[in-house]
Amino acid sequence: MKQRLNLSVLMRSKVTWAVVAEVLILIVCLIVRPDFFSISYQPSTGMLYGNLIDIVNRSSEITIIAMGMTLVIALGGTDLSVGALVAVAGAIALKFLRWDVTVYNTPGDYTVYPFFLVLVVPLLVCIVMGLFNGFLIARWDMQPIIATLILMVCGRGIAQILTNGKQFTTGYSPFRVIGQGSFLFLPMPIIITAVVVILVSLFVRKTAFGTFVESVGINRKASRLSGINAQLIIFIVFALTGFLSGISGLIYSSRIMSNDSNNAGLNFEMDAILAVVIGGTSMTGGKFSLLGTVLGSIIIRTIVTLVYYFGIASEATMAFKAVIIAVVIVLQSEPVRNYFSKRAASRAKLANGGVK
Amino acid sequence: MKKLFALALALVMVLGAMSAMADGYKVAFSQIGQESDWRTANTDSIKAAIEGHEGWELIYDDAQQKQENQIKALRNFITQGVDVILFTGVVSTGWEEVLKEVNDEDIPLLLIDRLPDCIDQIDYVAAFGGDFVEEGRRQVAWAGEYLKAQGRGDEKVNVVIMEGTTGASAQVGRTEGNLAAIKEYPNMTVVGQQSGNFTRAEGQALMESWLKSIDKIDVLIAQNDDMALGAIDAIKAAGKVPGKDIIIVGCDSVKAAFDAIVAGEMNATIECTPLYGPFVVETIEKLIAGETLSKTVIHPEEGVYDMDGGIDLGTVVSVKAADVIDQRQY
Repeated sequence: MKQRLNLSVLMRSKVTWAVVAEVLILIVCLIVRPDFFSISYQPSTGMLYGNLIDIVNRSSEITIIAMGMTLVIALGGTDLSVGALVAVAGAIALKFLRWDVTVYNTPGDYTVYPFFLVLVVPLLVCIVMGLFNGFLIARWDMQPIIATLILMVCGRGIAQILTNGKQFTTGYSPFRVIGQGSFLFLPMPIIITAVVVILVSLFVRKTAFGTFVESVGINRKASRLSGINAQLIIFIVFALTGFLSGISGLIYSSRIMSNDSNNAGLNFEMDAILAVVIGGTSMTGGKFSLLGTVLGSIIIRTIVTLVYYFGIASEATMAFKAVIIAVVIVLQSEPVRNYFSKRAASRAKLANGGVK
Repeated sequence: MKKLFALALALVMVLGAMSAMADGYKVAFSQIGQESDWRTANTDSIKAAIEGHEGWELIYDDAQQKQENQIKALRNFITQGVDVILFTGVVSTGWEEVLKEVNDEDIPLLLIDRLPDCIDQIDYVAAFGGDFVEEGRRQVAWAGEYLKAQGRGDEKVNVVIMEGTTGASAQVGRTEGNLAAIKEYPNMTVVGQQSGNFTRAEGQALMESWLKSIDKIDVLIAQNDDMALGAIDAIKAAGKVPGKDIIIVGCDSVKAAFDAIVAGEMNATIECTPLYGPFVVETIEKLIAGETLSKTVIHPEEGVYDMDGGIDLGTVVSVKAADVIDQRQY
């Protein structure tokens, strides 16, 4: 009996419907192309090889950013600058790898500055940019969407100035490991993402931090009066999002072994927000689900892979994505969830009555 | 006091210089953005040519690949009262209104590289751009002739076409050329045709997916070199040898593609020169002198570069990439 009642609760959860949506999409894949799920071992790279691996692998950049975005949205805000920060991180990394392309004019297996600078400086700069967002929001009480718009617009400009508007290419093998290497038969981005998701989850759920974020998101003034340092929470969340965007930027540029100031991270802010929303976190702030966000990000990437895999014509791609996302959002809407939840509850009652 | 005087003097000089500049001939340039090395070379060539010209002032706008940014930039140029506008459209449609506004103000318009669809409805002084259809034809023809030279002329081969940003005139033209040329080679079948958005990352992800959904791919036609370069990594990750198991033909001829061809990982690249600077200067000089200009679109002369050279494509014979790599400017 208790199980039946739980089903009603389950039906009400947005995360359940995210799972349902993903399963539905995958079933469509399975029907159209049964070989969609095949996974094999690729000896030349030492990695597992298959569509499911690709989906998780290529969702990494968005998943990592969306971890931070979930907390930002739980605070009742949005961070529009993440995509631009991805471009900045890539530009700085490539700048340190190649420095002056007129002197080091062929891409090869070398780095001009020590490798740790290539990794650390982009991340530090992204943290500082995140702190800048946090400062505008916490200290100057700017609306997050306006405050982060500043870096969204000028971030790519900064990235282009750093590289003189050029696209550098590198062949430095340790740098390649981040985006194209492998560990435990899996592509490195999956490993990095798993570590990030676990660490952020632990930080948020094993300390009081998550509760603080939810409380500030629901009512900032009341939280402050009850002794929570709301400003500090906002600073930490935006700095963390900046840092995570930096990691995402390093993965992106390592995949293509190049910086791409105009295209790196393009529309990532929208994808990350979408991932969070599909994952069941409300845009009004408050309660959030990190697991839901991971699922949301995977759903978005599944759609992209689907488009590629089934050879959907370029002209129809956008419309196709829009239709699927609309279906997912409708599945998660209040009326649909309530309908299934009530049905489950009444069925449970009926079953209960039958037993009696 | 002396310091103050020096400061004032410096200020006067700066102001003087600025007003002198403002009196110069204002050349406005609305560029798409920095989508690729090709675009950067194109921007640098035009910028350098105009900035290097005495008495000319460049007003440059980078649209970051957004049409709305470009429309805004064009309207800004009008309010600033520029003397001539150089324009490259990020997509081929939707320009009628803003370009007519430019016409209404009688500002001479120079169309560069990507020509808008409404070209017949607007006034422009000159148009200069690559022949995208011919480039697309050359891509397929190179693969077809190369296969013949390898003695594989009768072998059934599967071709995938990686398109550029949907709606960009380079994508429209090259796709037309690709598909027309495929008909000339009955041994070729198109088994995949999708957009990689002209970027390395998307070219890589698309190739990764194709290698799983399509059983046999023999030839990759990538409508720019960046997508081809991205695809090379995906092909390696699938345990295949790029340039051997899969023949890769790019387009644009950027330096990184030459590096890849010399390294044996890519087979050929069809040139699409970005060095428009000299043409732009020449045209504007003619414009100032009051000469009448021809409205037919001018195509630059372009080559084809590959691993060994000597492939005859009818209109051009390919050149060995390793021989000319040192002369490449971009």
